[in-house]
Amino acid sequence: MLSVKKNTYATFKVINGDIQLKLGVFGILFLLLVGILSPILAPLDPYHYGQDILNGLGVNGHLLGTNHLGQDVFSMIIYGVRTSLMVAVISALISAVLGILIGGIAGYFGGKLDLIVSECINAFMMVPTFFLILLVIALFDNSITNVMIVIGLTTWPSNAKLIRAQALSLRERTFVKSAITMGESKTQILFKYIIPNGIFPVLANTTIGMSNAILTEAGLSFLGLGDPNVISWGQMIFMGKQYITSAWWIATFAGVAIVLTVTVFYLLGDGLNHVLNPKHSNGKGGE
Amino acid sequence: MKTKSPFIKIDKISMWYPQKSKNLFMSIREERKWIKAVDQVSIELERGEILGVIGESGCGKSTLGKVLARLENPTNGDVYIDSVSTKELMKKDTKKFRRMVQIVFQNPFDTFTPRDTIEQILLRPLKIHGIGKTNAERREICIKALESGGLRPADEIMKRYSHELSGGQLQRISILRSMLFEPKFIIADEPVSMLDVSVRSEIINMLLTLSKEKNATVIFISHDIALTRYVSDKIAVMYLGKVVEYGDSDTIINNPKHPYTQALISNCSSIDPDEQREIIKIQGEPPTPVNPGPGCYFASRCFKASKECFQKYPAATEVSEGHIVACDRWY
Repeated sequence: MLSVKKNTYATFKVINGDIQLKLGVFGILFLLLVGILSPILAPLDPYHYGQDILNGLGVNGHLLGTNHLGQDVFSMIIYGVRTSLMVAVISALISAVLGILIGGIAGYFGGKLDLIVSECINAFMMVPTFFLILLVIALFDNSITNVMIVIGLTTWPSNAKLIRAQALSLRERTFVKSAITMGESKTQILFKYIIPNGIFPVLANTTIGMSNAILTEAGLSFLGLGDPNVISWGQMIFMGKQYITSAWWIATFAGVAIVLTVTVFYLLGDGLNHVLNPKHSNGKGGE
Repeated sequence: MKTKSPFIKIDKISMWYPQKSKNLFMSIREERKWIKAVDQVSIELERGEILGVIGESGCGKSTLGKVLARLENPTNGDVYIDSVSTKELMKKDTKKFRRMVQIVFQNPFDTFTPRDTIEQILLRPLKIHGIGKTNAERREICIKALESGGLRPADEIMKRYSHELSGGQLQRISILRSMLFEPKFIIADEPVSMLDVSVRSEIINMLLTLSKEKNATVIFISHDIALTRYVSDKIAVMYLGKVVEYGDSDTIINNPKHPYTQALISNCSSIDPDEQREIIKIQGEPPTPVNPGPGCYFASRCFKASKECFQKYPAATEVSEGHIVACDRWY
């Protein structure tokens, strides 16, 4: 129990020490809270098409006005957090798991397998991702699930490259060799020694990947390929752009929300990178 | 059991690494080049014997250790422990082989994963090999082992992470962990070269006592000649992947026959300041291990070399009981 307490304290100290990480963590916590509490926080049901069409800021109690269908923009933005976070987390998770497994296996086992997998990774990196996503979404159903899966399936190569490089150096370390002499199997070594010790750069990359996923989803929605049944900020911009001269608030606030969310994820990723990089670490060697 | 067959028989073991050719075209046309890190090493050892392996950097000492512990698979040759081929054993029962052969590494700070406590590190191998039935029982074994190694309080140490302990403590834990399996064959790859001088003797003595208790054979790899002499019963001198001289440690140190051994030992400072020794200086660097030969590998630097030395690698000759020299001009 004591060590848990000590660890929590140490984590706090680290977060407190890096301003980027601090802002990132508080930003994420704030976004999560908004996402969870959106039914309470939103004054109106965003799926409700009301009578107040294209109301300005503050008119009829609509804090950020309404759009051409009479939906409350403020409520839409709050509900949009859910979509963005879901897309970010699930697609990044798919990309991280795929990348870690593929890159870890390639780096640890090496040899011919590594050669083949590395070339596959390179081939995937050459694919113009956004157009591939566009193609897939256009060909298949443009539901939010598809969007998330496709983003995840196209962004794993960077994670795979990172963990492969880690695995290549980790497998030469003494503790891996000593684990071999202790009779551990290759799978045990991969999951117990290689991946946990090489995961940090992937974690940092994944958080930045999350912000990219949000941007990609917004981009797809802006092109009209988002899920029409889900409220998302990209879609708000897409619909708002026709009214940009008369009702600027529809697109503007959604845009601001995207910028802020992406910034929060970037701050978190960058901060994690700083803290987890061994060169910056000051936690080594005891208290 | 036959009395003749030795406990551990290293039979013409070789580790060759292919040299990567930079040019794909060349690699097709040319014959493949090999870096002979360890080349046809044969040594026989009895139960409880300690063999010191000495030689300069890059002569293949550590590679020999790795090959013996099967961290790398040898290109050729085999090791027999108690007349059991380890090649066969690795195929049939890897875990049994791992329990029989243990290695102590040079760098104690990197021997344990930084993400686990000592307790987790010690319990894991016991669990894998099914030693002890419950976790509590395994913990008991570990505590006993740690305390026998002078690591007190064991309870406190088991809660720590590896970066919270000193090099000496970590190397002790490393040795104790290896001993949990009661191995028959221990390879110590420069176990003290990264430690403070003050703790070296303790670690060495602990390794010796424990291996004597378990009646295990030890291969002690080092470039510290004085230490090797103190530790080992037999000494093998390596040069460019080959054993050039092998025999009882006192014979090797006091009466070296191979010119390389003579040069090596003459350059090693003695504890006795009055002892007069003529230092033999040898020129140049060891030749590349890529396709060396055809003559004696040492011929180009040797002060005794004659024409014949450049033509054929000298055969090993037994100059006296158990003292083998790979040199034609040893007399």
